[in-house]
Amino acid sequence: MDPSELRGKRGIIAVIALLIIGVGLFSSLEKLAGNVSPGISRIYNILAYLVAPNNIATWVYDWRGFDTLIETAVIYVGAVVSALVIGRGVVQMKHYSEEAPATSPPLEYRTESLTVILRFLGLPAAILLFSYGIMVVTASSTSGGGGFQCGVIMTSAYLLAAIFYGKDNPIRFGKRFLIGIGAVGLGGYTLLGLPGFLTSGYWQYNVGADIWNIVSPTLHSIFGDPFRLSLYLQEGIFYSTPGIIPLINIAEAFNVVGAIGLIYFAFLYGWSEPAEDQEKGGK
Amino acid sequence: MSAYPSNLWSIPLLVVIPILVAVVVNLVYNRVRLIKVISILSAVCLALIALFSSYGYHWFTGLPALRPETLTFTFDPSFPAWRLALEFYFGPLQQVMIFVMSLILIFVVAVASGGLTKRQGPYMGMIFLLFASAVIIIMVNDLYHLWIAVEIGSLVVAGVVVGSGTSVSHKAALKYTFFSALSGAGLAIALALILGLTGYSNISDAIRYLQSVNLGDMSIILYVAFAFFVLSWIYAGGLAPIHPLKSEVYGASFPHGTAMLQTQSKLMLVAIGIVMLRIFGTLPFVREVMLAISVITMMLGVVMALIQTDFRWILAYLIISHSGLVTVGISLGTTEGLVGGIFQAVNDVIYMTVLLLCCEALYYFGGKTSTRNSLGLAKKAPWLGMAVILGTMAASGIPPFNGFQSELILIQAALKVGLPEVAAVILMVSVTTFIALFRAVYRLFLKPPETSETVTEVKVPRALYIGLWFFVAMTLIIGVYPTIVVSFITPVAQAVSIPWYL
Repeated sequence: MDPSELRGKRGIIAVIALLIIGVGLFSSLEKLAGNVSPGISRIYNILAYLVAPNNIATWVYDWRGFDTLIETAVIYVGAVVSALVIGRGVVQMKHYSEEAPATSPPLEYRTESLTVILRFLGLPAAILLFSYGIMVVTASSTSGGGGFQCGVIMTSAYLLAAIFYGKDNPIRFGKRFLIGIGAVGLGGYTLLGLPGFLTSGYWQYNVGADIWNIVSPTLHSIFGDPFRLSLYLQEGIFYSTPGIIPLINIAEAFNVVGAIGLIYFAFLYGWSEPAEDQEKGGK
Repeated sequence: MSAYPSNLWSIPLLVVIPILVAVVVNLVYNRVRLIKVISILSAVCLALIALFSSYGYHWFTGLPALRPETLTFTFDPSFPAWRLALEFYFGPLQQVMIFVMSLILIFVVAVASGGLTKRQGPYMGMIFLLFASAVIIIMVNDLYHLWIAVEIGSLVVAGVVVGSGTSVSHKAALKYTFFSALSGAGLAIALALILGLTGYSNISDAIRYLQSVNLGDMSIILYVAFAFFVLSWIYAGGLAPIHPLKSEVYGASFPHGTAMLQTQSKLMLVAIGIVMLRIFGTLPFVREVMLAISVITMMLGVVMALIQTDFRWILAYLIISHSGLVTVGISLGTTEGLVGGIFQAVNDVIYMTVLLLCCEALYYFGGKTSTRNSLGLAKKAPWLGMAVILGTMAASGIPPFNGFQSELILIQAALKVGLPEVAAVILMVSVTTFIALFRAVYRLFLKPPETSETVTEVKVPRALYIGLWFFVAMTLIIGVYPTIVVSFITPVAQAVSIPWYL
């Protein structure tokens, strides 16, 4: 938007609207200060320790785990929309007066300007970042949201390698591969609701933690035992299991790698498809 | 025990199936036949689930509710208890809305998979996610989840528009996405304020808490939350003053995509409108503000439709104007108003789908949609010509079509609360809709061609004709037997309604 458009009447209206919104919002916050009602969070806090040792993990992936699924889908949708934007005209309708598909040339790389040190340290740095991402997600049972962080760290490694090596990126993620990874992630997260649905009738019931004792002990063991934790406290040793939370985190990591990787891919390398006749004719 | 379960099987399936379909069709990417089969079968499956499901709740992740008087946990939703789980509800209103939307989905995916060239996976995925977002908004009883669904819904709208692949659609989608940031943030602030005030994200629990305490000077927080909620409502439905953005979205998409977009938008307007009525309806001036926005939208939309010279854009502005008709009824908040508004939403998405499918058919006859052309298409395709005329009559509120029934209820509702001005505007919108539409229909379908240039005819997909006549039949059947739909709406309207004069 051209800032000059905000001069005159429009600018005055915008300033007045902003002032009204600001005053309303700040007066509300001022009234809420010290008066925030704890409501349902009191009960959540009382129960959270029964699942993961970290309350946030329990809140985000168990109590409100379905919320998090839809939030995860937002990242996935963002990636697909980005690909559709960059690859404009890739989807076309017969008989529709289409414009020619937009060409989205990849960014120009000048890897020759990199110093020798950076060029040779790039790959080890990317590998280290990748390993760190794996470490974060494997520790997700005791921390909140390890899956998302893992995905972001891994795609940072991909971006870093792309900056260092351009088209010769040693992390060779193709677009179909990234779409596949994203699909495994979002699809996997979604399907992790199935065991709870089939056994208890409640979608995404945490069958591994089973704090309401509504699934069979066998199923409880299958999903709960691999992630069982022993907590050594002054009061004694306590056992708990986050159940399906670590699995959800792994699926989340796949989704984030696929989605954010696809966004990077589209912006870095462009998005083009062979012409229809070329596809039919083979190569 | 309650007659309604807290683990109704159909609710998660209605949400999860479209998400999984979106993932799978995106994965198979350009395998046209496979995408077609998966999409149509899934859409049929969703319609059947909506049709045959019983009513009840679903408490996602299987957390119970806490009964405050006994401090015991219960899985029975009939007790007034604080919900720990994310709650969805499927009742008669949800059933009729989701069923109609899934019928539209069936024909949209059938028409799209026939018309689209290769690499249609991502586009088809967006159509299913559009369905999922609307279904969530219709069923959810949780403020936080409502916000997420509105967020994803806005992004998916951009995806469907961008998928249409022209520079116009790109501009429309990017503008819409830019404003979605403001609207999404607005809704987030609204829910944060309500959450701070009550401590409950479950809408019923938050309302119960608000009714149990004396807010005093804290009620200003509710007004501020309402203001941000209105922002989101305006944005989701394309009401004034956001109407230019939403009309661009409708006009720049493939017509079948617009059929799905307008369905999502109108049903979201109903669902969010009911949430607003439940939370803020008894506050002074709230419904007056909603009514003013609705009336302005109706008038602006129809006036803009009158000055358009392209069939697509005429429809785009009429969709906006008729969104105002829907929200007028909801804003009145009375039983009759709510019945009229919700009934109008259901009727509107059906007859607009007829007109949009007719618009799609024009692409098979050379793709000219400008009303400056005289194509005389009714001679070449008499069934298409007849369908577009019947669709026009339904949209204009002419008996015996469905539009007449809902507009009549709306006019009666406005008169009953002593607002003849609103009734007059509704009547004006009906008449002007007829003028705007019939002018285009006459030029494109009825008037003989002025030039000797022949219209190239390509085989129109059978699915398009079947869809067209299926929805024409629905406009007629609902018009003659309105109770088929009204009986589903009335119980909810009675439960939510608030007298106009408190």
